[in-house]
Amino acid sequence: MENGESTIPLIQRIVAVLWPSFLTAGLTTIIVFTLYDPQIVFSCVGGPEIARLGAYTVGFFFFWAINAVACVMSMYFCRPCSKVRGSVS
Amino acid sequence: MDEQPANQASEGQDAAVERSLYAKREKIYAREVHGVYARLRVLAVLVLLGAYYGVPWLTWGGRQAVLLDLPNRQFHLFGITFWPQDFFYLAALLIIAALSLFFFTALAGRLWCGYACPQTVWTEVFMWIERKIEGDRPRQMKLDKMPLSARKIAIKGGKHAVWILFSLYTGFTFVGYFTPTHDLAAKVATLSLGPWETFWIIFYGFATYGNAGWMREQVCIYMCPYARFQSAMFDRDTLIISYDEERGDPRGGRKRSVDPAEAGLGDCIDCTLCVQVCPTGIDIRDGLQFECIGCAACIDVCDEVMDKMGYPKGLVRYTTEHAVHGEKTHVVRPRMFVYAALLAVLVGALIFSIAGRVPLEVDVIRDRIALYRETHEGLIENTYNIKVVNKDQSRHQYRLSASGIEGLELINTMGEFTVEPGRVLEVPVRLRIDPVNIDRASSKVDFEVFALDNPEIAHVEPARFLGPVLK
Repeated sequence: MENGESTIPLIQRIVAVLWPSFLTAGLTTIIVFTLYDPQIVFSCVGGPEIARLGAYTVGFFFFWAINAVACVMSMYFCRPCSKVRGSVS
Repeated sequence: MDEQPANQASEGQDAAVERSLYAKREKIYAREVHGVYARLRVLAVLVLLGAYYGVPWLTWGGRQAVLLDLPNRQFHLFGITFWPQDFFYLAALLIIAALSLFFFTALAGRLWCGYACPQTVWTEVFMWIERKIEGDRPRQMKLDKMPLSARKIAIKGGKHAVWILFSLYTGFTFVGYFTPTHDLAAKVATLSLGPWETFWIIFYGFATYGNAGWMREQVCIYMCPYARFQSAMFDRDTLIISYDEERGDPRGGRKRSVDPAEAGLGDCIDCTLCVQVCPTGIDIRDGLQFECIGCAACIDVCDEVMDKMGYPKGLVRYTTEHAVHGEKTHVVRPRMFVYAALLAVLVGALIFSIAGRVPLEVDVIRDRIALYRETHEGLIENTYNIKVVNKDQSRHQYRLSASGIEGLELINTMGEFTVEPGRVLEVPVRLRIDPVNIDRASSKVDFEVFALDNPEIAHVEPARFLGPVLK
């Protein structure tokens, strides 16, 4: 941690956002869509008519995107505070 | 807080460091290995990939043996059908999988990584294809250094074509777990695949091609969470791959005829073969590293060299930290007992509950509007909604009855009812009783539902009967 993010290669940072969110998206998809039928969820939010496999797919990528946002925010908040200030001024 | 100056001081160096780190990674050309562990891995690849590609084609009792039928939200597993209501089993299975990983990691280190991880298994196949088309390690390196030519394009193009075909078939198999494989194959043959099926075949195929063809060891180093936290499960009795420094050092080349003791050398001839075969490109002689996936390629190749030199095998070997330091290794230790006991209990409970699983679920929902109602005849009435879920693969006709209090009368206007497989039926019923028969405000009653064609499919669900206390 003390070494800062400069020692972390770009590829590792990209992976640190996309990969954990992918894993948790998979898990979320399994849990949420086992409990709720994605097709019904879809029609409840006023989405267009869609095949069930399609509803699963869209749901999965939706979860992936949301989780990726969380990962990006974690990464942002992990930056040292002083550096954040520095970049603003 | 005192980091601040350091941060500012390092600001200037950052750019340089980053630039050097952004440099394209050096491609690893892993040399082919032969030996005990390589054969074990090939066996693991054949068994695991055989299962992966074979299982979707299996039929059991007239239907696909393993089918996670997403379009219909049913999960067929060798003759048993699970519904979303059986979520509990899935959760139990995931916990068991996690515990097994803990158990085997504590016992034998990164067995999973070296022999069973999909990344290892598919990379092995991709490297095999690469070797068949491009040739062995020196040929691959030579080809990459060659200027672009028709021959190079042909060889590289051929390799990628085979990789892509294999990846697409992998994607097809993956989708075959979620929609019936035979139908899917027919759709592929007639080019009438649905858009979502096409998407997933390409997406999964692309992931396979990227991970096993291009990313390889980077997946293990950067992407794998297990690689990072497995050290927490290690102790000094965990099986690891280690170079015997005491025996090997000082390293150095020598002729076979030279006695190493006289020349002041250890057993390591510094041939660097252990580095050349390493799929993650590390030097095992530098000690235990998190990049090491425990594939034992270095053991195989070093044993071969030791044989040629006429030295005893095992300069690089499976060992434990205790053993390396000349202490005793304890295979049986408290944490093994804890993991094993937990695993045994969970697996036992899961098998027991699946074996005794009744494909029928009954929920009783009380009417929320009135606690109870008094009829003209002065009888007390409670209203319920009985939810009956048929979790079997065939339709059944059911009968509903109630018991628990003397003189209890069930009014069920639906009579005997039929529920289609996987469907839920709500049966509105009333229970009626003479208030002299109840002695408390809330009495326990039991609703029993059973299938007429198979009395073993039965379920008793308790509920409360509310009424005034007269006594």
